Amino acid sequence: MKTMSASQRAAVSVIGFLFAIFALFPLLWMAISGFKAKTEVLQTPVRIFPEVWLFSNYGEILNDPAFTRAAFVTFVGALIFAAVGLWINSMAAYAFARLDFRFKGALWLYVITTMFIPGMAIMVTSFVVVTRLGMLDTMSVLIIPGMASAGSIFFIRQFYLNIPIAVEEAALIDGASRFKIYTTIFLPMSYPPFVIVGIGAFLGFWNAYIWPVMTITDESLFQISQYLAQFRSGRGSEFGLMLAGATLGALPTIGLFLVFQRYIIQGIKISGLK
Amino acid sequence: MKNKKRYNNGTAYLMLSPVVIMLSIFVVIPLIYAIRISFYDWSFYQDPVFVGFRNFYLVLTDDRFYTSIGVGLKFVLLVVPVQLVLAFLFAHVVRAMGRKASSFVKTSIYIPTIISGIITAIIFQIIYNFDGGVLNAIIGSFGFEKVGWLVEKQIVLFGLAIPAIWLGFGITALIMLAGLLDIPESYYEAASLEGASAIQKMFHITIPLLKNVAVYLLVTGFVGAIQQLELPLFLTNGGPSDATLLPNFYIFEHFRNDLLMGHTIAAALLLFVVLGSISAIIFRVINSEKAIDE
Repeated sequence: MKTMSASQRAAVSVIGFLFAIFALFPLLWMAISGFKAKTEVLQTPVRIFPEVWLFSNYGEILNDPAFTRAAFVTFVGALIFAAVGLWINSMAAYAFARLDFRFKGALWLYVITTMFIPGMAIMVTSFVVVTRLGMLDTMSVLIIPGMASAGSIFFIRQFYLNIPIAVEEAALIDGASRFKIYTTIFLPMSYPPFVIVGIGAFLGFWNAYIWPVMTITDESLFQISQYLAQFRSGRGSEFGLMLAGATLGALPTIGLFLVFQRYIIQGIKISGLK
Repeated sequence: MKNKKRYNNGTAYLMLSPVVIMLSIFVVIPLIYAIRISFYDWSFYQDPVFVGFRNFYLVLTDDRFYTSIGVGLKFVLLVVPVQLVLAFLFAHVVRAMGRKASSFVKTSIYIPTIISGIITAIIFQIIYNFDGGVLNAIIGSFGFEKVGWLVEKQIVLFGLAIPAIWLGFGITALIMLAGLLDIPESYYEAASLEGASAIQKMFHITIPLLKNVAVYLLVTGFVGAIQQLELPLFLTNGGPSDATLLPNFYIFEHFRNDLLMGHTIAAALLLFVVLGSISAIIFRVINSEKAIDE
């Protein structure tokens, strides 16, 4: 490795931390301003920390049944979305990676082509389809349509392709069925791609706004983004409260990321350089 | 194993069926349906009337459609090059940093990537506030005039580009870093032995070998930035006077306001043909340049 003088090393570290500040500052600003009184958020001259730390903003949001319900509904929806999605997508990935069957090439092309169809192009007609299926204003309209994902299948398949044949040969000789091999050998090995794909799915569900706002009008099924958007348009002048709500809305995803960050950052390498 | 290829048709079809059925119902059928409806006057309340290419004609003679493409391209130019240059710089900085410090920095820069559009809008609405916003306070302390980030026609696209860069920087930078770390150290050592300067190393080793990563980032950056919808939706509502009328916002606005959906769908399909071609051209141009290099 190159040798650097102490001052060069220090300069590099300073630039590195400037990047970190650029990334974290808006979020810290949001979280800290959530402790401010309504009039203090946009007070001049600007102060970073509140004069009095008001925990009541966070308390008030957490006591709002609409918030806790939205958070709960979104959380459960995201879990189901991610878990069932992992199951069906990994099953397809296994079939494409390890099985030989008729029309394999054509089916692969069919599945992978869907990856390149932009959501906006089919937004209106997807809405028509879910309307005809009677899915409007149910959780299923949020969970089912996006669950099968060519991108996820592609990613998991890449992982399965790299598993040596020897792994399943013994089981095949023992006469195990392919489905059994998938469940007993491949699934337990799938942790690395599952973390990445699963968290991606969870985040996509948690952060979605356009599709929920099109398909959900029943307030008891409101998603967290819908809650925040409604808060912003209705009570958007209560700045401290709004920022506290936004902070709480972001916390679960940030927490999830921090827990699994090692895998996610590794996964980026794989997905970027395929 | 035997010579005869072993087929697992039954198992395979069973394992593929959930995915294939769901993709068919929720992606392929809507696409075919969209193509069909683009030739009809159709609304949620009446029977469709065939109008041929009229919807496409209406879109192609709509000035705002071209405005949205122009705004989209300008937005891409504001976001993607800045992101790539910053990511390139970042990758070098992180490579030179100590292990602990660099993992802290890597984690930090990735966090914005997981923040939703609405939360980003809430944060930046406060940061951008004309009188009490922190951004104007910061630039004020350097002696600059206050800026109306989201209301001045000349500035507003910058106002949207900053949060877009903030949101997308993490993944761009980490992919760039991975590409940089993939270049074998021995190349640099060999170059040093030959007496190459740092700048020569950058132009003869680093940049050529990062080209694939850069093309990937350029295309994904283009596609991501041009499809931005939530920032104009939440922060500016497309204004002032269409200065932030990004393509997807144009479509979404028609979806909200039009009774007849044919126009909306025709616009959506046309846009994706146009934008798809542009990203194909970027890809071609850069790739062919690479072919000449070799």
